Amino acid sequence: MSMSKIVRAAADIIFVFILTFGFYIVAHGHLTPGGGFQGGAVIATGFVLLIAAYGSRALLDRFGKEWFRSSEALGLLVFIGTAFVALFLGATFFANWLANGGLIFGEAVAFGPNPGDLNTGGVIPIMNIAVGIEVLGALSLIVLYMLSGTEEGA
Amino acid sequence: MIAMIAHTLVLVGLVIAAALVFRFRDLLSAAIAFGVFSFLLSLEFYILQAPDVAIAEAGIGAGLTTAIYMVAIKGTERTEAEE
Amino acid sequence: MKQYIKAAVLLVLLAAFLVPTLSLDFGNPAETSLDDYFIRYGQEQTGGNNIVADVLMDFRGFDTLGEATVLLTAVLAVGLVFRRLHKEEEYEYE
Repeated sequence: MSMSKIVRAAADIIFVFILTFGFYIVAHGHLTPGGGFQGGAVIATGFVLLIAAYGSRALLDRFGKEWFRSSEALGLLVFIGTAFVALFLGATFFANWLANGGLIFGEAVAFGPNPGDLNTGGVIPIMNIAVGIEVLGALSLIVLYMLSGTEEGA
Repeated sequence: MIAMIAHTLVLVGLVIAAALVFRFRDLLSAAIAFGVFSFLLSLEFYILQAPDVAIAEAGIGAGLTTAIYMVAIKGTERTEAEE
Repeated sequence: MKQYIKAAVLLVLLAAFLVPTLSLDFGNPAETSLDDYFIRYGQEQTGGNNIVADVLMDFRGFDTLGEATVLLTAVLAVGLVFRRLHKEEEYEYE
């Protein structure tokens, strides 16, 4: 089941921009409004657009449910793993063990409104990316499961 | 002044869209009206300076929920049953 | 008689919801010590400029963990409801 050629061509073009916008929201979650959940939802909307234009069969041939399932599991594992690393370093669970440390994402920021730097935030960008991966997998999976339940033989 | 008029228009549109969701017998039209409602709600969140919630509402409310309702309507029936 | 009681109950409920709403002082909360703390120390303690992200991912990480768990449970429930039952996969009693 796929829509007309106009819809498919428009979906091809818009999908790229939706994906770019979603990854921008996820990557800049510690600087601008947004974050992992919002960015993941935007990316999942892009996948749902592809499903609406081409049908779920075409998307499943390319990616498969395993892809989304493992992306969800990977996001959750990275999220909880980052929280557990703090325990091994002697801090509390969910402590920000990378902030102001000089390592990756470890630059200090000045107080007050400033343009910001991507290389700040400690574990916040890592957790944003983890939550983004998890949400994009989960929300796409919900739509895919519902479609496979309602389509006969699909 | 312009911002005040825009804010009032968004609020009136919210009430109209919500009433349409309640009124429509055709569930497909109701789902579309709900998508319009979610979009106006995300505009309202943006006007009230909550861009975080606005992005989440635009992505989930206007995009994914409408798609999920479409899938559900496709799997069941399109019109609401008469009482 | 009955509809008058209904109308009276509705009016009382409407007043009960509207009066506190209209008398609220928006943008001027009574207690701001926690907000002031996050705004003052959020940037230097976590290094993130977006205070909302600081609170969500660092100060209240457990909240985000619970949200992720809710999403996982939702996916599991949807997969459980919409799975296709093959003949050989059906549950068999001993």
